[in-house]
Amino acid sequence: MATTPLSKAAGHGGHHEVKFNHLFGNLLALMALMGITIWASYVNFGNSTINNLIALLIASVKACLVIWIFMGVKFATPLTRLWVAVGFIVFILMFGILGDYATRRFEPTAGWELNRPNGGGTALPREWPPAKRPEQGAENFRPRL
Amino acid sequence: MAAIADAHGHGHDEALHHQFEDMDQQNEAYLVGMWTFLVTEVMFFGTLFIIYTLYRSMYQMDWYLAHEALNIPMGGVNTIILLISSFTVAVAVRSAQRRERNLVLWNLGITLVCAVGFLGIKSVEYMEKFQHNLYPGPEFGRHPEYLHGAAPNFAQLYYGLYFGMTGLHAVHVIVGIIVIAYLWVKWFLNAKNVTLDYVPTEMVGLYWHFVDLVWIFLFPLMYLMPKP
Amino acid sequence: MSSIPIEKGLENSSPHQREQANYLTVDWSLKSWLTTGDHKRIGIMYLISISFFFLLGGISAGLIRYELTSPAGRVLESETYNKIFSAHGILMIFTFLVVAIPAVFGNFLLPLMIGARDLAFPRLNLMSWYLYMIGGTLILGGMINGGVDSGWTFYVPYSSMYANSNIALVIVGIFFGGFSSITTGINFIVTTHKMRAPGMTWFRLPLFVWAMYATSVVIILGTPVVAITLLLIVFERVFQLPIFSPELGGDPVLFQHLFWFYSHPAVYIMILPAFGIQSELIANFARKRIFGYHFVAFSTLAIAGLGFLVWGHHMFISSQSMYQGIVFSLISFLVAVPSAVKIFNWTATLYKGNIRLTSPMIYALSFIGLFTVGGLTGLFLGSLGTNVHLTNTYFIVAHFHYVMVGGSLTAFLGALHYWWPKMTGRLYSESLAKWNAVLVFVGFNLTFFPQFVMGWMGMPRRYHYYYFAPEYQPYHLMSTAGASVLALGLIIPGFYLLKSLANGPKASANPWGAHGLEWETASPPVTTNFEQTPIVMDEVYDFDPVLEHEQAQARKALEPTGYEGYEPGALAEPKKDESDLGGKS
Ligand code: HEM
Ligand SMILES: [Cu+2]
Repeated sequence: MATTPLSKAAGHGGHHEVKFNHLFGNLLALMALMGITIWASYVNFGNSTINNLIALLIASVKACLVIWIFMGVKFATPLTRLWVAVGFIVFILMFGILGDYATRRFEPTAGWELNRPNGGGTALPREWPPAKRPEQGAENFRPRL
Repeated sequence: MAAIADAHGHGHDEALHHQFEDMDQQNEAYLVGMWTFLVTEVMFFGTLFIIYTLYRSMYQMDWYLAHEALNIPMGGVNTIILLISSFTVAVAVRSAQRRERNLVLWNLGITLVCAVGFLGIKSVEYMEKFQHNLYPGPEFGRHPEYLHGAAPNFAQLYYGLYFGMTGLHAVHVIVGIIVIAYLWVKWFLNAKNVTLDYVPTEMVGLYWHFVDLVWIFLFPLMYLMPKP
Repeated sequence: MSSIPIEKGLENSSPHQREQANYLTVDWSLKSWLTTGDHKRIGIMYLISISFFFLLGGISAGLIRYELTSPAGRVLESETYNKIFSAHGILMIFTFLVVAIPAVFGNFLLPLMIGARDLAFPRLNLMSWYLYMIGGTLILGGMINGGVDSGWTFYVPYSSMYANSNIALVIVGIFFGGFSSITTGINFIVTTHKMRAPGMTWFRLPLFVWAMYATSVVIILGTPVVAITLLLIVFERVFQLPIFSPELGGDPVLFQHLFWFYSHPAVYIMILPAFGIQSELIANFARKRIFGYHFVAFSTLAIAGLGFLVWGHHMFISSQSMYQGIVFSLISFLVAVPSAVKIFNWTATLYKGNIRLTSPMIYALSFIGLFTVGGLTGLFLGSLGTNVHLTNTYFIVAHFHYVMVGGSLTAFLGALHYWWPKMTGRLYSESLAKWNAVLVFVGFNLTFFPQFVMGWMGMPRRYHYYYFAPEYQPYHLMSTAGASVLALGLIIPGFYLLKSLANGPKASANPWGAHGLEWETASPPVTTNFEQTPIVMDEVYDFDPVLEHEQAQARKALEPTGYEGYEPGALAEPKKDESDLGGKS
């Protein structure tokens, strides 16, 4: 009644029944995709990034299936859809944080660490040290609380 | 659905709250409210996924090695369980719309069983990790063979996030169990506010799907790392 | 704003019957308050509770100011000083400013302004108050039992590994407070979308509603991030999960990213509601349609959106990549544009308006000046080069106090004075209030302007001991003197407002001659807000210039009959058969 255009979009009664077969088919699809994920994680594509991308892609497809069919966004009002979208958009925005880490190595500032592997040039030690493997020892553990 | 869809029946409907004009308005308000809540949940878990992404890109090899101690069959079974429970909840919502009380009770029941089963398997996994000293802290890595050669400190970081993320997810599962059980009892007692109005059931369903959603991402990210 | 009532079978009740059953007098038992779903009562409960926390925050501020009057410190140990300024920051930000305007005025006014009977989820609303109280109690408990000494920013690894204070408990308290904000935000969003009265289209909404909407969006998107980030500190301290600990490969700068990803938007959580109030006050007391309604509305949304893209300007010296620093600096400048749009629109609204210098208006005018100073100094801080010089000095302290105290707190006071007759049904002494508003303005500037100067000279923030730089002392003395004036200006309203409750004259439905649905119902409103659902026919800032001019003349003639500067019709005279519905001024 209040926001007429939006509630009209909901249709009379405000909901739409999903077909049982739809739900069941969705379950089967999700199961199949899970199988593919497990399988794909063992395949050697030459570069593990490809595996990661595939895993994420499949997970996203699964997420969309759950959202679209199980959560009924397929039949939801535009308003609901807007809110579904907002969360994921801002979440993706947050990945901007990683831009910091991705661009640090390109800093041209002349620095004091001239003997760094990349020829020096950053004011602070920017590169992540190669994964060190310290021996098992007390100094790996920290006092807590 | 005549009784619920009666758009002009001010106060006729027993499930209508006083602040709303009609059921359409109330239903959409509740669903949008639930979705906005889920948006906050997305941001909540999203933060953890960002942390995960950064650290994983920093310590690919060590995390790969550390993750080998995870039990993929158990994780896989848990995934299946959650997918099934998501399905049954969806069916329960559908049945609630059709007012088929028995079906609702059955499906919610199966969901509950699945949820408890998930927690059971999860706790077995946790116990195993504790026994192998894979819980971060001074004792971490006392049995280096379970580290599979990963640097103890980076592995500790991995397990910190593992326990943090799956732990928070488990907390959500526990909350889900409580809510679903409550809903089940309401249906069982034929409480009018759930039997006349499918929206409470749908909201619980949405929450449970979200729990499933998080796991859909957690499983490949935690259990299925490719060798870098 | 004119409205035609829908038939609901209540139109026969007389004004007196209505008066008997307003939301305050319905039931005075404690139980009825603690279990209420009425948004107006919850707003009042919030008002009382945030005032309490504001008082505590103010006391800690007083301690800080006293300590700083001498270069060698006065009464506090260094460690205690750390705890006091942390307490000040945490109380003022998490338990006062983030909550204050949305939870008090948003709660009270949002349904009234859009013509709804209540918020969409009254019980959730009540729950948010309980969550807030639990959070506040935990925060206080933590502060009494061990204190916090990490500042309100909780930077790791200090807070997660080294601090010996009771950080975990306080963070859990903040976590609860965060959830209280989130529930409020969800409520407001759904209410704005779904509960508007017939005819209340988006572009007829009062700008305060727009502001509350944008604020809620920021709240629900930002708060979970800080909630989980701070919770990770608790995990680190209590469950030993090493998320940010550097010696295991964790990254403390990541914490700062996540913290500011919320906390910069959080400053907009604090200022956007103030913008909304500002639009209401300016439009009403300039008796003019707000200049560029659409611009003000959309700049609100633009700020909410852009606010999520500038968090890195708090980290220019935190070893953030300089490329990202450049981008953040640029976007920080961009975010100043919509803020400036608002300032210009308000100023343009004032132009050729029939300005009435009432106490809310004085607050509104001082807001314009103070926020402009605060925002412009934000640009100093947002440019990479000057930031390196100014960061962690008193310049920052002055900057954010100009925006948060000069901005948000001033707007809060303005709103309190403006809507007090609506909330309580009583008129306070306007002349006293006017002088007090001036006092706040003077005290505020005396407190914080010297801080710009000494910050520019190099006085670092969070120090209580400047023995080797005694040249800062005069500024600190000025600042402390100003703080005393400001404190006076904040205590006096407590007295005259409370006094008005006891024996202030009764207010009519519309003591300011304002437009807007909230002024069409009785003061104080009935529990269901409106006796009939209003239908909105025209937009809210619909001031007729000719009529306004005539009324201004009439007011001059009538001046002595008004109650100390209110509108002539401000007093609710029981004899006169005034109509408090459809109240044309
Ligand atoms: C015109 C837009 C604004 C700009 C460009 C701006 C810029 C900045 C910058 C660059 C800093 C970081 C200084 C540093 O740490 O080196 C800062 C700090 C701060 N600003 Fe603003 N600001 C703006 C508006 C606001 C508003 C509206 C508020 C609050 C209502 C606010 C509250 C704060 C606070 C609380 C801090 C200090 C945080 C801390 O404790 O370190 N700012 N501002
Ligand atoms: Cu900022």
